[in-house]
Amino acid sequence: MAAIHQFSESNGAGEVETIPVANLNFGSNDSAEINTTTYPITRGDASFEKYLRAKFTGTFTEISNMKFWKSAGTLVTGETIKAAANVAYAQPSATPNADSDVPVTEGTALSMQSAEGAATIVYGASGVSGYTKYLRLQLQTTGSTPAGAVNQKTFTMQYDEV
Amino acid sequence: MDNTMDINLDSRNNSMNLLSFYWMAKFEDSILFQFDNGKENRFQLVKDNLDKLLFFHLYHKDGNKRFIVDLKNGIIKYNSSSLPEIKEEKNNIRLIYFRRHTIKIGEIDLKEKSHIITYFLGLQWTFNNKNKNIILQINDNGDFIIDGK
Repeated sequence: MAAIHQFSESNGAGEVETIPVANLNFGSNDSAEINTTTYPITRGDASFEKYLRAKFTGTFTEISNMKFWKSAGTLVTGETIKAAANVAYAQPSATPNADSDVPVTEGTALSMQSAEGAATIVYGASGVSGYTKYLRLQLQTTGSTPAGAVNQKTFTMQYDEV
Repeated sequence: MDNTMDINLDSRNNSMNLLSFYWMAKFEDSILFQFDNGKENRFQLVKDNLDKLLFFHLYHKDGNKRFIVDLKNGIIKYNSSSLPEIKEEKNNIRLIYFRRHTIKIGEIDLKEKSHIITYFLGLQWTFNNKNKNIILQINDNGDFIIDGK
């Protein structure tokens, strides 16, 4: 069956969830769907971290092999996107974190777990929320990053379903 | 355009609209369709009765393409033709079936830029105490490649 797939973003100290979230604009404010003109990232700074989760609803049997990577979009000079999968939620910070660069191939993609820490999301199983664990993303810049908008990126999520 | 509505529509609540291939399972004593009288049966019902499963069909919604896995004889047919067969004694023949979703999303618009479903269909069996398999990777149009080891 075709599960229904949505992305959610969490923000704030008390974790306010936006689902579905319409974009993952990086910026200088801890909120979902931010306006990058209103909240630009100053050269040399980092964006606020984004905490994303995927949520599966509908009637499926099992979701497994969940992966995430950046599949398109050239980084400009001094720009990096950091990413970590299966992290716990914490209030998003604009301090540059030490996560790894986001993978750019399927072969090196981040492997995502269910919110309960399993490799699969089993439909209707006791205690199963349908969420993945959190994916943390942050855009970091340096003093050499050119002024102006950075390039748009494409991210890919892949999963197997029966 | 209302972005929230846009993304809701994109999540596609109607499974039949999203899928190009549907399955049908033929058991020793019954037949189960994925979609039956407007109701969608979960694949779990197949998993729960694998010991009685004789044939597993994957057929295109347009009705012109059909893959059939013969669980008793360990062969796969495409329409009425048998696909290349590995001629060896196959023990403990098991069905392989899942769908791989590849969803591309934009940074500034999480609306899906593309949503590709690849159907993985095949068999695995035991030969000389080794696990072997043959798997078809089938796209929306029914074009496929064969993989196995």
